[in-house]
Amino acid sequence: MVTLTIDNQKIEVPEGTTVLRAAQQAGIHIPTLCDHPALTPYGGCRLCLVEVDNSRTLQTACTLPVVENMVVRTVSPEISQSRQFVLSLIFSERNHFCPYCQVSSGDCELQNAAYHEGMTHWPLQPNWKVFEMDASHPYIILEQNRCILCRRCVRACGELVGNFTLGVEERGANNMIVADLNVPLGESTCVSCGMCVQVCPTGTLIDRRSAYLGKEVKVDHHLTVCVGCSVGCGVDVQTLDNNMVRISGNWDAPVNAGVICKVGRFQPFDEDRERVRTPLVRKDGALKAATWEDALGVIASHFKPLMGKNGDGLAALASTRLAAETLYLFREIFKDGLGCDMVTTIEEGYPTAAPAALADELNSSFEGKLANLKEADCVLALDTDLIRGHEVAGFFVKRALPNGVGLIVVDAEEENDLYPLANWSFKIKAGTQTQLLKGIQAALVKLGLVVDQSIAQPDAAVQEAAQATAVDSELILEAAYRLGSAEKPVFVYGKDASLDELKALLALAKSSGASVISTKGKANSLAAAQYRLDSPFEIKNQQAAFVALGDAEPSQKLVKRLEKAPFLAVQASYISPLTAVADVVLPVAMWAEQEGHYLNLEGRLQKAVQALQPPEGVRSNLDALQAIAEKVGVKVNVKGWQKALSERTPATTLIEN
Amino acid sequence: MTIETKTDQDTTAVVRQVVERHGADKAELVPILNEINRRLGYLSSETLQELSTLLRTPKSQLFSVATFYNMLSTQKRGKHVIQFCESAPCHVVGGRQIWQTLLETLSIQPGDTTPDGKFTLVTTSCLGVCGVGPVIIVDEDIYGNVTPEQLPDILARYS
Amino acid sequence: MKAYRSMVLVSSDPLSMERGAQEVFDQLQKEISAFGLKDEVSLSMVGDVGRHDAAPLAIVYPEAVIYGPVTPKDVRYLVEEHLYKGRIAAGLQASQRELSGRIAWISARKDTLPAENRVLLQRAGVIDPTSIEEYILHDGYEALAKVISEMSPAEVIAEVKNSGLRGRGGAGFPTGLKWQFVAAAKGEKKYVVCNADESEPGTFKDRLLLESDPHAILEAMLIGGYAVGADEGYIYVRGEYALAQERLRIAIEKAEEMGILGENIFGTDFSFRIHVHSGAGAYICGEETALLESLEGKRGEPRSRPPYPTTHGLWGKPTMVNNVETLANVPPIIRNGAAWYRNIGTPNSPGTKVYTILGNVNVTGLIEVPMGITLREVIAIYAKGMKNGASFKLAQTGGSSGSIIPASLQDTPMDFDSYQKNGVSLGSGALLICNEETCVVDLAKVLLNFFRVESCGKCTPCRIGTQRAYEILDNISEGVSGLNDLNDLSLLSENLARLSNCGLGQTAGTPLRDILNRFRAEVEAHINLKVCPTGVCPMSGRILAYAPVMSHSTF
Repeated sequence: MVTLTIDNQKIEVPEGTTVLRAAQQAGIHIPTLCDHPALTPYGGCRLCLVEVDNSRTLQTACTLPVVENMVVRTVSPEISQSRQFVLSLIFSERNHFCPYCQVSSGDCELQNAAYHEGMTHWPLQPNWKVFEMDASHPYIILEQNRCILCRRCVRACGELVGNFTLGVEERGANNMIVADLNVPLGESTCVSCGMCVQVCPTGTLIDRRSAYLGKEVKVDHHLTVCVGCSVGCGVDVQTLDNNMVRISGNWDAPVNAGVICKVGRFQPFDEDRERVRTPLVRKDGALKAATWEDALGVIASHFKPLMGKNGDGLAALASTRLAAETLYLFREIFKDGLGCDMVTTIEEGYPTAAPAALADELNSSFEGKLANLKEADCVLALDTDLIRGHEVAGFFVKRALPNGVGLIVVDAEEENDLYPLANWSFKIKAGTQTQLLKGIQAALVKLGLVVDQSIAQPDAAVQEAAQATAVDSELILEAAYRLGSAEKPVFVYGKDASLDELKALLALAKSSGASVISTKGKANSLAAAQYRLDSPFEIKNQQAAFVALGDAEPSQKLVKRLEKAPFLAVQASYISPLTAVADVVLPVAMWAEQEGHYLNLEGRLQKAVQALQPPEGVRSNLDALQAIAEKVGVKVNVKGWQKALSERTPATTLIEN
Repeated sequence: MTIETKTDQDTTAVVRQVVERHGADKAELVPILNEINRRLGYLSSETLQELSTLLRTPKSQLFSVATFYNMLSTQKRGKHVIQFCESAPCHVVGGRQIWQTLLETLSIQPGDTTPDGKFTLVTTSCLGVCGVGPVIIVDEDIYGNVTPEQLPDILARYS
Repeated sequence: MKAYRSMVLVSSDPLSMERGAQEVFDQLQKEISAFGLKDEVSLSMVGDVGRHDAAPLAIVYPEAVIYGPVTPKDVRYLVEEHLYKGRIAAGLQASQRELSGRIAWISARKDTLPAENRVLLQRAGVIDPTSIEEYILHDGYEALAKVISEMSPAEVIAEVKNSGLRGRGGAGFPTGLKWQFVAAAKGEKKYVVCNADESEPGTFKDRLLLESDPHAILEAMLIGGYAVGADEGYIYVRGEYALAQERLRIAIEKAEEMGILGENIFGTDFSFRIHVHSGAGAYICGEETALLESLEGKRGEPRSRPPYPTTHGLWGKPTMVNNVETLANVPPIIRNGAAWYRNIGTPNSPGTKVYTILGNVNVTGLIEVPMGITLREVIAIYAKGMKNGASFKLAQTGGSSGSIIPASLQDTPMDFDSYQKNGVSLGSGALLICNEETCVVDLAKVLLNFFRVESCGKCTPCRIGTQRAYEILDNISEGVSGLNDLNDLSLLSENLARLSNCGLGQTAGTPLRDILNRFRAEVEAHINLKVCPTGVCPMSGRILAYAPVMSHSTF
């Protein structure tokens, strides 16, 4: 620990802390613009200048490491004059004529800083060159005229996301933020995560859907969990008058520390499916509006007679985007209450099958955590494309690559966006993954990095694997060498990995000291697996089917199979091909309109809160199920949901948030 | 300066050659860009794209670096590049008159290329030959103690 | 053409003044005219030179004879004997005694003036730079051999420290101390980097050194590497210096062939490799942290400091960054010893300094002279006077960021400390000498244009400040200036220095500050009378694109 004095206040902070962070911890405000807690210090804007004893010049607090017995002053006439001058320079650079800007009066850090310094006007004559606005991107507008060149966007794009789309062109006064080789943002390699928008201190990078709809300081903030996938990122859903205005990453969230992807930030605003606003019941071949009472009555009349029947009874499916409470109640009603033999989720346990089976077999949890992935120095990705799905986990890998993190990709898919990023891409024939993993294991032995008596002839084993997978044995050796010399390797595997592959992977993990983690599937796949709602789905002679679809989009395959059911009841938020073939449709809330818990891919239990009121007549998924239970006369108690998550050994230990 | 002919294939070949010579090491980026620029005349999008793949370096980073350094250009330039030193040592010994004459003779703005594609006129900071200022450099030929009267003769040497 | 044959300096410290230095000066002026020597002899007051016991002094060059105490009565005899007849004025000389301070070096220069004292440039133009054999024949690699066979790394550092060598890149930081920091820094891997990104306008001494004597730099880097425990070195050469790069590559190849560079040098455990790295045109890369960024393949943007390169340099490893000229001093220091080195120059700035002389003078070029020479001496002796007999108006020392020296500071010795005392920086050794036809607004405009073009843009004050200052100056030169311009320019020059991240921004306002302080009336004439006294500025009244759009508006 280092002790220093800031404004006569003695402060103790860990070594390596900057003066700015030390001051912030002590509640001392130092104005900043280019600084952002999630980004590496930059020292460009010079607003955070402070006086340090025995220092010739003013120092930037954001870059200055603390030193024992350092004496710092953050308030003095000279400092104040300097900050005002820095601000007047910035105001003179581009068009900061605030009335035109959507972030002024609250959300603009530049304007706020100026008010804080007591400025009322800009003293330097400005030179307003006019730049064209880049509105080529579907979600983001780049308005260079308001840019202060703090490069927070550039750093966020690289350091947080690892995408490196944004850069800086030219030098000095000609500096401009550019995408790739200076192409319009909409034609660039941008992945629309919107982190640049989230960190922009002025109105330069604009979320085009949310601009002018409500300032961050005016809206209601709901800190909740994204249900886009199993990563379970913390998001801040911002609403105004029951309208969703904007979604930001939650900087304090343990999973993602503020970083989210387009699925969490922008896609919810693309929602154009038609809402189910009232219960519907099929009459004379067509769905007609009905009351809840009527609709529930129809359901009960079909379900009750099928109670306890096997094979020709009732089939029930739930979406894994539903909360744990909802899934638990769903199981209580259909499995325990109505005694159905076909109760599962629309994912059918597919993404969690292998890890669940292995956890059962080992009778212990074997997977690591996302924190391991963030700190990894070598990543092996098996049967997973972390760019197209579970994208934030992909960001964790991508952003570490420039630091020399090795990436080995093993997949049988024709396309995987990790291939071009990888140091070693093994695009191999489907079914040969196990052999490749065993080959790497043998290579570790051959290289003398691992002792494994079971491999008597490592050389031959490597050759064998090379032949089976049609991969150059040199490459296997290279990858093995990188893996073997890593200190914190992590293996990530996807839903296509078979149990055999997984066992081979685990063996390799043991010998190389790696932690393994699987991507699972949707937001609550792991909870569904823990509730054993993970069997394959099949309509045999079932006489009726129920789908708790929620706001999920049904696949064509699912619709095809359910068409066969003589009677189909669906609770859904949106009109879809599935509701079209249903006999009863119950209108239920979408993700933001209800609350509940989610178990993410690393076993972290997190609560999603309600951000919006559902339309009138629309009930939460949980309430809808409660109503069904009541109507069919099944006694349920949702309270047991959390305990039930531990009924079975999870693939990864559960963490409570 | 001889600029090599530039079909797409040649561009790729040159980029590969240069990378091979320096090694696909990001630390060698500035020398690599420098050599490619010298050989191909400028750094086109295709060039940087190819380089991005070979060096496994994001395009934005290549562009950021390429536009930072004065000797590198991301714009196509004329057949001959005239660099005029606008630093003080050349300025005080008559540089101003040379600049005026250059602008009038070529009838273009700084940074532009003559309509026939023959000359591109750029300004540069001190080139370290101030002992003989004012100085202009055409391609790689340095002309010192230049007077306005000499300019037409100098330009006439380039076809 | 006007070239002075002799130069007379009169001491003008308070004691000398009290004892009638002014009268002596006036009398000298009179007598020099009377003998018709006005065009052959320059005369000036020189400040405090020590030897107060004999004040006031009159020192006559090139013989460097010290007369004193001189009274107005003595003057006629002195002028007649020494300046007219060319022999020493017997009886007037100051008594011989132990000399100290500045007078000691004035005396020591007796044999060196007006001839140069070539220490760094001793081989320049003498040997074939592509021949390692010729280098070795001319004392080459003798220092390295001595270091490796006879000295411990600590002894090498001690020798450099004792020599008093100070960095020649501009800041004047003690070189030995820097070496000591790097040697003391924790870490297995260390680097030696030679800063050969010489981009300061008007400076080409490094180019000359590299082109004419490349092995000297290699030898110095090897010695440095040995001293600090580094095994790898980079020479970052500015991109425009193709010939220097070529010569260095040849030199490295030859040295490697001879086993002077590479593994187990001279059969010892010491190994060292040197790479030549070409820049691509960016003044800012002369800043050492920007140079390191560029070496790592990035934009040359200066880092925040601390930490310093001595502990966190190239690839985060301890790195010793030295300028070419600084390094060139090392082999002679090792060969001849620190004591020898201290005998050259002034006590606080030992050694020689290479200057480039430029501008409106008769002879431009490069000289190597002991530290502490005055500007007047340079103009009179080496530049052979002002061109076309014009009069001296101002000089800029040390390139674009250097100070503007008015005529009144012509006789201040050019060494680190004396200049610092007068708020002047020595900089890179460029001496841009301007005559009375130079307009200070026009000059300031050219200089600020340089900075706005070369600013990397990372920090606000430099990126925006240089641009704003340039625009205001451009407006002034067009005669469309505003009432606040002088105030804004002062604020800009002052704040650039206080608020910028690196040396570029911190010194960008220096010439502007000096011009506003020392040539204010001329600037005011532009603003208030819309007149350019020298007739250089266009004063067209043309409204420029960036003329005030809306001043003092609220946001």
